[in-house]
Amino acid sequence: MKVHYYPGCTLKDKTKALDLSTREAMALLGIELVEPEGWTCCGAEYPLTEEKIGTLAAPIRVLRQVRDEGGDVVVTTCSFCYAVLKRANGAVRNDPLKRKRFNAYLRDDIKIDRWTKAKTTGFDEYKGEVEVLHLLEFLRDRVGFPVLKSKLGRDLSGLAVAPYYGCRLLRPKEELAMDEPDNPKIFEDFLTAIGCQAVDYPFKQECCGSYLSVSLPDAATEASYRVLRSAKMAGAAAVAVTCPLCFYNMDKRQDKIKEAYLDFPGIPVVFFTQVMAWALGVDKALLGLGEHAVPAEAVFQDIPAAEVRP
Amino acid sequence: MSAAPKGKAKKDKRVGIFVCHCGVNIAGVVDVEKVAQKMADYPGVSFSTNYVYMCSDPGQQMIIDTIKEKKLDSIIVAACSPTLHEKTFMEAAKLAGLNPYQIEIANIREQDSWVHHDKERATKKALRVVKGHVEKALQNESLEPIKVDVKKRALVIGGGISGLQAALDIAEHGYEVILVEKNPSIGGKMIQLSETFPTLDCSQCILTPKMVEVQRHPRIRLLTYHEVDAVSGFVGNFKVRIKKKPRYVDPDLCNLCGECEKVCPQIVPDEFNMGLSFRKAIYMPFPQAVPGTYTLDAEHCLGLSPVRCGKCKDVCDRKAIDYDMNETFFEEEVGAIVIATGYDLYSMQALGEYGGEKYDDVINGLEFERILSASGPTGGVVRRPSDGKIPKSVVFVQCCGSRDTEHHLPYCSKICCMYTAKHAMLYKHRVPDGQATVFYIDVRTGGKAFDEFYQRTIEEEKTLYIRGKVSKIFKEGEKLVVWGVDTLAGKKVEVEADLVVLAMAMVKADGVQDLLKKLKVATDTHGFLAEAHPKLRPVESLNAGFYLAGAAHGPKDIPEAVAQASAAAAKVGDLFAQEELLHEPTIVPVDDEKCSGCGICITMCPYGARSLDRERGVVVVNEILCEGCGACAAACPSGAAQQRNQTDDQIFAMVSAMLKD
Repeated sequence: MKVHYYPGCTLKDKTKALDLSTREAMALLGIELVEPEGWTCCGAEYPLTEEKIGTLAAPIRVLRQVRDEGGDVVVTTCSFCYAVLKRANGAVRNDPLKRKRFNAYLRDDIKIDRWTKAKTTGFDEYKGEVEVLHLLEFLRDRVGFPVLKSKLGRDLSGLAVAPYYGCRLLRPKEELAMDEPDNPKIFEDFLTAIGCQAVDYPFKQECCGSYLSVSLPDAATEASYRVLRSAKMAGAAAVAVTCPLCFYNMDKRQDKIKEAYLDFPGIPVVFFTQVMAWALGVDKALLGLGEHAVPAEAVFQDIPAAEVRP
Repeated sequence: MSAAPKGKAKKDKRVGIFVCHCGVNIAGVVDVEKVAQKMADYPGVSFSTNYVYMCSDPGQQMIIDTIKEKKLDSIIVAACSPTLHEKTFMEAAKLAGLNPYQIEIANIREQDSWVHHDKERATKKALRVVKGHVEKALQNESLEPIKVDVKKRALVIGGGISGLQAALDIAEHGYEVILVEKNPSIGGKMIQLSETFPTLDCSQCILTPKMVEVQRHPRIRLLTYHEVDAVSGFVGNFKVRIKKKPRYVDPDLCNLCGECEKVCPQIVPDEFNMGLSFRKAIYMPFPQAVPGTYTLDAEHCLGLSPVRCGKCKDVCDRKAIDYDMNETFFEEEVGAIVIATGYDLYSMQALGEYGGEKYDDVINGLEFERILSASGPTGGVVRRPSDGKIPKSVVFVQCCGSRDTEHHLPYCSKICCMYTAKHAMLYKHRVPDGQATVFYIDVRTGGKAFDEFYQRTIEEEKTLYIRGKVSKIFKEGEKLVVWGVDTLAGKKVEVEADLVVLAMAMVKADGVQDLLKKLKVATDTHGFLAEAHPKLRPVESLNAGFYLAGAAHGPKDIPEAVAQASAAAAKVGDLFAQEELLHEPTIVPVDDEKCSGCGICITMCPYGARSLDRERGVVVVNEILCEGCGACAAACPSGAAQQRNQTDDQIFAMVSAMLKD
């Protein structure tokens, strides 16, 4: 299977581990990832903050490129990219006025042929044809969790992982439609499929503090602390995240949390793709564990693949 | 019925015109004198006049005298909308010896003077309208109302407080009643309540005498564990097919010894206690159940057979248990149907953020009623479901699903403010050192002695009321944590609780839509029964012969439900007091010679009044069911369906007259 994959800028820089582990895991699942030619930043928060057409340009250009390369699906792993691409796509798909204005705005874009690199102008109207899927959604709906389960190479049955949804995966419900925002199951089902024990805890959809770590760091520290403490109290050995910003707030800034809350013992934070890659049998060295501020080696205790596979 | 002989009537008829001023309502814009004057010369008109208030006694008398004096065959009253005074003038015509279906009302108020300012053009329009009605009147037939017998026996569906009250009242009026209840016992939701606001009467104590009265009343036939399966017919003459569900216990033989219950191995959540305790598969819903008998719940029984289990049958000395009972059906004839099917609570699953499905100690109001009730699973001691501890902090959340247009239900469930105040008060009576906290949007206490009750809850019982909604409820260790907002202080609040009670919205009863479909009665957008008129006909359905009582019609408390049930019973009494019913004759018959039997009209008819006579290949009409809406007449491709006094010829004549010059 071949599918378009949009990594997003953070995965090429600060959180290479997310990109790396995704690629390794997908390779073992027999899925070839294709990056759209000349992809740019999705625009992070901007395309959704203002009711303007210009801000939509970044995400829609990416999606238009995917369409022109013959793709009908684009997969992302970063929660922010997912929310931005999917909501921008929905705006163009469902709002005729926005669609018209957007296409007029980007009429004179330069088009680069993927293979010949020849530059031309003139695009067909982009109507929102591409389907934006988060990797979790892709695994559930296109690959199927039972198929994923059938390809496991390691037994993780002793590993208790707390799924962390954060703010960007589930809401707004009407636009993202990934799962029920108040009672989501997809992350738990995913963890169960790869053989872990999914820990239920009340803070899985609460905010990690997001960009407040820049403007109001103490608020972000408190927000992340409450999430991590709740997961730890519920018996988790690690918290699994999908979003590089959540990772930053909860892993890179965990020393700040420990400084502020002396009772907090700390907990490793990992990407969901790292756990998946590990379960599928990827080598530990290829998980990008060096990027973690809180050592996560203990989470990945090796049980040889041979012992599990029949 | 043959069509009006055309042409003949037109030439011979003497038409009179009466133009009303309605004070200045009409005369202020329309030149009424001119209308009367001009119409005097119109072909077929024998007399024309105007008067300040046609609906007044002198106005009506003038119409009566003129009809007699001028020997008028038909009159046109140019006045307000026919919905207001058509009946008045029809009665006046009757007094003058004129057939009331020879009256035409030309609406020159709502559709003319009230919506126009230009006097000249409004007068012109009035003339056109009146001319149209003259053309129609020239072809009007004299009609007689259709008479139909009344079966003086009522069906009441639902054995909650509303159904019980309606049944008792109708029976006291002297008529027979059949009361159908789908559950093993009557009592409905009210029998589950602990104490009732604002007097704190024990709910069971005030309801059980009524239940017994219903059971003993000589004119009430109580059918519990029965369901209405199908209804046909029409007002005064319904045929009802009733399903008798197998109880597997003969109530006449059962002496309530309870031996069967002791030996039954099947343990099932108890519906009466909202699943907070357990019952056996053979059970009595509650001690005061009416009728007092055991019922074997086939769904949970090991197999209704001595091979599979058969323990209950073995111990029953009276031989009351019979595994071979089957569903049976029978038919009854009734003249009126009272629908009192009650309500249910909005599912806690719909509010995932409150964790009602996840945490044992997040419960709904009815569950808390059972916990407070002396006959409940805890014997009236307030204990929380998870570990049986006495909760020292209880949070009550109001408007769970109500008044939330965006996500849930837009309406107010009306009773929750009062029952939450009652819950807080009763909790404080039982646990004086406990803390009760209520989250509310507004507190609505309209009702006799309601606000005083609410004030007492705050002032005497020291209940903390926080104005704001709750965003999330979750468990941390032993405690529940409630996140909310205090909109008066403008702050987020976090309250620890041992027990949380959600005031879930009231919604239509589970599965009631199937029944209502069979009855073909109208509902509103939320599935509650629709009344015929929101102000003037609040207890009747739009469909003749159906009456509404209780929460099936919308959220209401006990006194209101009882009042509505009594009102519905009184309306049934009105119906039964008549020897025969009169049905409007302006229906749509079929001209056999023109009808090709295509059946298009059958599909158009919203009342099921038309059917195909396969032998003759034509459509036949049930005159009583036909409401004269005219949908079939418009759809009929051959002109065989002609509404009486509204034929195609009449309508074309009206249109031509109105558009002339």
